[in-house]
Amino acid sequence: MASPTTTADAAIPQTKGADDNYLTHDKGFASWAFTLDHKRIGVMYLASVLTAFALGGVFALLIRTELWSPGKTIMEHDTYNQCFTLHGAIMVFLVIIPGIPAALGNIILPLQLGAKDVAFPKLNLASYYLWIIGCLCMLGSLVTNAADTGWTFYAPYSTTTQTNVIPAAFGAFILGFSSIFTGLNFIVTIHKLRPPGMTFFRMPLFVWALYSTALIQVLATPVIGITLLMLIVERVFGLGIFDPGLGGDPVLFQHFFWFYSHPAVYIMIVPGFGVVSEIIPVFSRKRLFGYQFIAISSLAIAFLGFLVWGHHMFVSGQSVLAGTIFSAITFLIAIPTAIKIFNWVSTMYKGRIHLDTPMLYALAFLWVFTIGGLTGVFLAVMGVDIHLHDTYFVVAHFHYVMMGGAITAFLGGLHYWFPKAFGKMYNERTGQIGALIVFVGLNLTFFPQFILGSRGMPRRYYNYLPEFQGLHQLSTIGAFTLGIGFLITAISLGRALKNGKKAPNNPWGGVTLEWTTVSPPPYYNFQTPPPVTAGPYDGYEDLVYDEAIGGYVAKKA
Amino acid sequence: MTEPSTAPEAVKKVSAPPPAAIDHGHDDHGHEAHDPIHAANPHLAHHFDTPQQQFDAGKLGIWLFLLTEVLFFAGLFCAYTVYRAMHPEVFVYAHYFLDTKLGALNTCVLLISSLTAAWAVRNAQLAEKKALMLNIVITIACACTFMCVKYVEYSHKFHDGLLPGKNFQPKEQIWELKSFRDRHPEAAEYAEKLSKLDEKKAAPAAPAAAGKAEPPKVEKLERPTEEELEPLLAAGLVGPRSLDPSAHISRPRMAHVFFGIYFFMTGLHGFHVLIGIGIWIWMLVKASKNQFGANYFGPVDFTALYWHLVDLIWIYLFPLLYLIH
Amino acid sequence: MSDDKPEAEKPAAAAEAAHDHADHDHTGHDHDHADHDHSHAGHGHGAAAAHADGHDHGLAHTTPVWLLFAILGALLVLTVATVSVTSIDLGAQGNLVVAMIIATVKAALVCTFFMHLLWDKKFHAVLFLTSVLFLILFLAMTTNDRGEYQHLVDEYRAQQLQAK
Repeated sequence: MASPTTTADAAIPQTKGADDNYLTHDKGFASWAFTLDHKRIGVMYLASVLTAFALGGVFALLIRTELWSPGKTIMEHDTYNQCFTLHGAIMVFLVIIPGIPAALGNIILPLQLGAKDVAFPKLNLASYYLWIIGCLCMLGSLVTNAADTGWTFYAPYSTTTQTNVIPAAFGAFILGFSSIFTGLNFIVTIHKLRPPGMTFFRMPLFVWALYSTALIQVLATPVIGITLLMLIVERVFGLGIFDPGLGGDPVLFQHFFWFYSHPAVYIMIVPGFGVVSEIIPVFSRKRLFGYQFIAISSLAIAFLGFLVWGHHMFVSGQSVLAGTIFSAITFLIAIPTAIKIFNWVSTMYKGRIHLDTPMLYALAFLWVFTIGGLTGVFLAVMGVDIHLHDTYFVVAHFHYVMMGGAITAFLGGLHYWFPKAFGKMYNERTGQIGALIVFVGLNLTFFPQFILGSRGMPRRYYNYLPEFQGLHQLSTIGAFTLGIGFLITAISLGRALKNGKKAPNNPWGGVTLEWTTVSPPPYYNFQTPPPVTAGPYDGYEDLVYDEAIGGYVAKKA
Repeated sequence: MTEPSTAPEAVKKVSAPPPAAIDHGHDDHGHEAHDPIHAANPHLAHHFDTPQQQFDAGKLGIWLFLLTEVLFFAGLFCAYTVYRAMHPEVFVYAHYFLDTKLGALNTCVLLISSLTAAWAVRNAQLAEKKALMLNIVITIACACTFMCVKYVEYSHKFHDGLLPGKNFQPKEQIWELKSFRDRHPEAAEYAEKLSKLDEKKAAPAAPAAAGKAEPPKVEKLERPTEEELEPLLAAGLVGPRSLDPSAHISRPRMAHVFFGIYFFMTGLHGFHVLIGIGIWIWMLVKASKNQFGANYFGPVDFTALYWHLVDLIWIYLFPLLYLIH
Repeated sequence: MSDDKPEAEKPAAAAEAAHDHADHDHTGHDHDHADHDHSHAGHGHGAAAAHADGHDHGLAHTTPVWLLFAILGALLVLTVATVSVTSIDLGAQGNLVVAMIIATVKAALVCTFFMHLLWDKKFHAVLFLTSVLFLILFLAMTTNDRGEYQHLVDEYRAQQLQAK
């Protein structure tokens, strides 16, 4: 911003070099490789996670291409097993779990708290490098007889298969530590680095979401760590804990695995809830309805998420007593989730809706996540699950919540904060088109899978009966549509990075603290932490759109 | 006028000092040089405002990390619990192979090191450099003692073939062990008789004199007393849970699982001790440079907390592995 | 004007992490707020004065040396107790229960005194207890479930033995 055109911009302390920001502050590879700046770390995570997403997506397209026709289409059955294992492992461990917290949270969390950085910047960088190492381990498995156990690594197959399970498991182990350290960092940041006046109930809901997620990360991830370690040791030494041939108990593996992996799905989705909570009030120009309820519900979901892991194990040999308990508690989780959905919709009611790209993603989220969430409740019914377990119904359910939920929210957040993080505006029309194609592709890919599953098509199957072919082909077409949507979005954002229009401080009219600093923010974020005297969704009426700069500024009374 | 306005920009306009007064340029070190607190506290990181804030943040951080460590070991404690509940004989069998005295020694060593660690924190707070360094050295020494004792135990086990998992091949029979004989002398005698029976069965029959087929001598044992039989049953040497039901006496079928769990738990714990030693050495170096004092002792405090957790885990491992009755 | 102290609000329905309100450290401005829990104003210049035992110095409470030794003594006594109890036969479960109780007492001593929880923010104790709670949840559910289907394993094993 060469010369501020409004008094509001002038009030924000400028740096000496007018265009100096965190991206231009220091140059060279070393300044990025050894950076302690949370924004740069976030940007590196963003690039890495999106690359991993593309890789996981390639595997997805390979899978869907293979399933175009029964029997062999483009690959052998063993290769197919490896494909879905890698697709799952990459997407879960490399993309969605780090996803919103590490990529968007790292950039935005300190900004929303008016802080200079996260509590432990060096630990933050360490988290990133652990991600890289974990990624390399997984790639190690990929290029050398990749694991074919499914991302769930169930024993005894995982303890006996000849494929390279150990690098994949070890990679996931390392990634677990990356996740733990990020969570730890965020919890301390939120407790200790809030600005004056920002009590817990004046924090933005994105912060609440990251807080709840961080609690899960810290409590649950160590368990998968020890589980994967035990798996590796069992493969090497024949310990006999999981492998029944050696005296072990395979159901025990599943208990261990799902004790983490169920809370993990809440790590995946709760940040998405936070993003949606940020977007909807801003683009409805209306105060968020039921702030406290949404905040507490994030914690409730985090807590309840620890009590339901057995609902992945109804048919595993687990006792009926345990199954009943898990089933009942799973129903409970629907309640705080539904509260959020109702509150978001209530926020939009009588608001002035702006259908910009972030809002399109948020609306898509509402639709797609509701379907995904409700089908989860169907699966929670033990009697129903006996028929639907390990069918495409489950696949459709979790893709609706993970792809339709987490990824949609991720893209919405990416578009929402893109101007802030990079100082450039993307082409709105292209963004909207991308969002629509993604939405269509999503539904086209996964809705037929609900039908496939309820008609009995098992998951992870390479071959299938001819009667299922039509729906499979529909799903494959959807997958490619989805891919095209992502491609358009990627190209749109890429072009914006190069040639986008300069972004104002507050293009969308948000009232949370990140919008009070320049886009992109200076290296140190804020000179002094801005004092907070109001809730994070109060004050839309005090902002007015200024055509000249293409953004919102404070109303002059 | 704009007073009631709550928009952050409005508030910021009112409260932020005019840009010129605090324009330190984009040099991040620049704006700290004007800050007296950072100037007075060279160990205060730029993103914290006061030493108290930095210390509190670090404390919360280390406690969260300890939380993750508890849950990390939880998996192993769970495996232990499940297997002990379902196969108690394995645990009874295995504990005869473990030396309670060495385990107790290790416990005491770690407890002493916990004392010196806590004392070291006090020394750091009071900037008592010599005492601090001494306490750290003693802590490291205790930790090394622990590892040496561990090494002795492990090498005994390897020597005796008590390896984890599929490599489990005990060289000694349990009734030949001193610990078993001392506790259950009658059972040990009886076990010897049973094993001799098995050897006879296994040994090739004496070559019959030409033409004469000698019927194998069937030695009848008396009915065992409870003192003779009960320890053998409890240890899974006889009965349905034993490895080879057709033999008179063998070992529990799942004996290797215990040793797998034993090595994993103590090994992982030992690994944490090693890491602790490394961190304490680092603290020793920092202490030697006189870095710690009333406003900066966090690293020692946090290292000590980690160390106490390592001690805590051993407090539970000791009775669970060594004091099985 | 801009110096807003946060109200101590209590959130409803605490989930597994209670929020420690009184101890919200908000960032100071460039002037030092002396509103910390335990310590005196932290204008630290590192002066190491002689101290009466047990009162706060600087950023946190300092443990008196006599207390450290007292706790060690207690811990060693309890260790001896744990070992001697094994010679008394209390049945298969009894010994385990007693051993665990003694271990827990030792753990509590280490946590409360060596690890400073007695004088620290309550939130840290809450965190630690939460982790223990989750450990117990995990162990209890898994062991219980295993117990429930163990009979299936036993029946299968018995069948196998018969078939031999």
